[in-house]
Amino acid sequence: MKRIIKLSSLLLVMVLGLSISVNAQAKKKADKDTEDFVYEIEGVSVGTQGTYLIKVWSYSKKPTVAINQAKKNAVHGIIFKGFSGKPGVPGQKALATPAIEAEKKAFFDEFFADKGNYNRYVTESGDGSVAAEDRMKVGKKYKIGVVVSVNVSDLRKALEDAGIIKGLSSGF
Amino acid sequence: MKNKLIYLFISALLLVSVSGAFSQAKKPTIMVVPSDVWCNTNGYMLEFDNQGTKVKIPDYKKALQENADLLLVISKINELMATRGFPLKNLESALKTLQDQAAEDAMLTSKGGAEINESPIDKLKKVAKADIWMQITWTLNQTGPKKSVTFNLQGLDSYTDKQIAGASGTGKPSFSAELPVLLEEAVLAHIDNFNVQLQAHFDDMFANGREVILRVKTWSSFEGDFNTEYDGKELTEIIEGWITENTVQGRFNTTDATENMLLFEQVRIPLMDANNKAIDTRGWARNLQKMLKEKYQLESKLMMKGLGQAQLVIGEK
Repeated sequence: MKRIIKLSSLLLVMVLGLSISVNAQAKKKADKDTEDFVYEIEGVSVGTQGTYLIKVWSYSKKPTVAINQAKKNAVHGIIFKGFSGKPGVPGQKALATPAIEAEKKAFFDEFFADKGNYNRYVTESGDGSVAAEDRMKVGKKYKIGVVVSVNVSDLRKALEDAGIIKGLSSGF
Repeated sequence: MKNKLIYLFISALLLVSVSGAFSQAKKPTIMVVPSDVWCNTNGYMLEFDNQGTKVKIPDYKKALQENADLLLVISKINELMATRGFPLKNLESALKTLQDQAAEDAMLTSKGGAEINESPIDKLKKVAKADIWMQITWTLNQTGPKKSVTFNLQGLDSYTDKQIAGASGTGKPSFSAELPVLLEEAVLAHIDNFNVQLQAHFDDMFANGREVILRVKTWSSFEGDFNTEYDGKELTEIIEGWITENTVQGRFNTTDATENMLLFEQVRIPLMDANNKAIDTRGWARNLQKMLKEKYQLESKLMMKGLGQAQLVIGEK
């Protein structure tokens, strides 16, 4: 009896370890995807002062990882990618150039760390639930669309204060 | 004594280097104005007869006194630009200052009874000025009960006449939103893209110099013209040679050249002089004026228009 308990405990630990490891790997892959711009952004609305409401499409084998990565992708996209417009919602240009990403790598590594400052400038719209049409299976991966709100005004100010991007009046 | 002198020298050197390091380029002024199209569509134009030809000019004062939507748009843009650390000149305040100044000048006399000097050119120059105009136009589109706003924001350089930034588009149609709400949404939706282009313009200016215009003319009292030779070189050649040496990478275009006038466009002047002090077109052209006087004994009068346009008239002061 004791042996069975021992064996099942060992098995449980192994399964838990394996699941944590798979999750960690998926998270690592998601972070790599963020760096490689493997996500899509579309504007939902930009008529509110200081904020953009956007939908971020993220990819992962695990839907939860894709949902959690949406906020990071949103801020990364607003800083480096921008998004194209659609009728009634004009697109917006990126806050920084790709050259700045390489130049200020140390800053952005810390900024986009799991508990990094990027979290201050983004909130999930609604309760974070994903609509059925925003959850798709593409090959072996899930493509998940999450609507988030990015406080662009504060984000830009923070980047200007940190000397990452220039303000309109810098140099004058 | 010797030590004191060394300390004094080092302090002076530090002061010079620090003041140099913090030297800033001359900041352009920006003002929001409604476009001529908007003023015309909404009936804010002044019409007068100019020797038989009817001329229409926008009546900004009337527009600002009567149209609350215009005031809202200007105020919103001013507010958003101020939060970006770039406060704008306000059109309404600029017009009031002009009016007050004119009244004050008319009444001003010295103790001895002398009045303020004012030439016709001075009078002509008494208008609201800015280095960059942010020109706004909007139209309200209505399809049945649905309303939307087409908004156009243009950044125009006062001197080069170039559009340096712009953002335009039509917002989402709405059944219930009022015009002021649609206008506010339009400003918010377009201002960031406009500022990205404005920033690109400033970056280009810091990298390649300020783009300006220089006109060189002659007074009728001048004995000679731009084809007259000095030390074996035509005056045009001398002036072009000086501009080549004193522009960033020798960049400029000679747009017009006759025996009586020269027009140089896309002239890229440095933002700082040799002493690292901020200069504008007048400060830069003053060196040309000095060179003509010192080397060729040619007197000239230098006039300016804001940061980006100068006119040098050769012959006398």
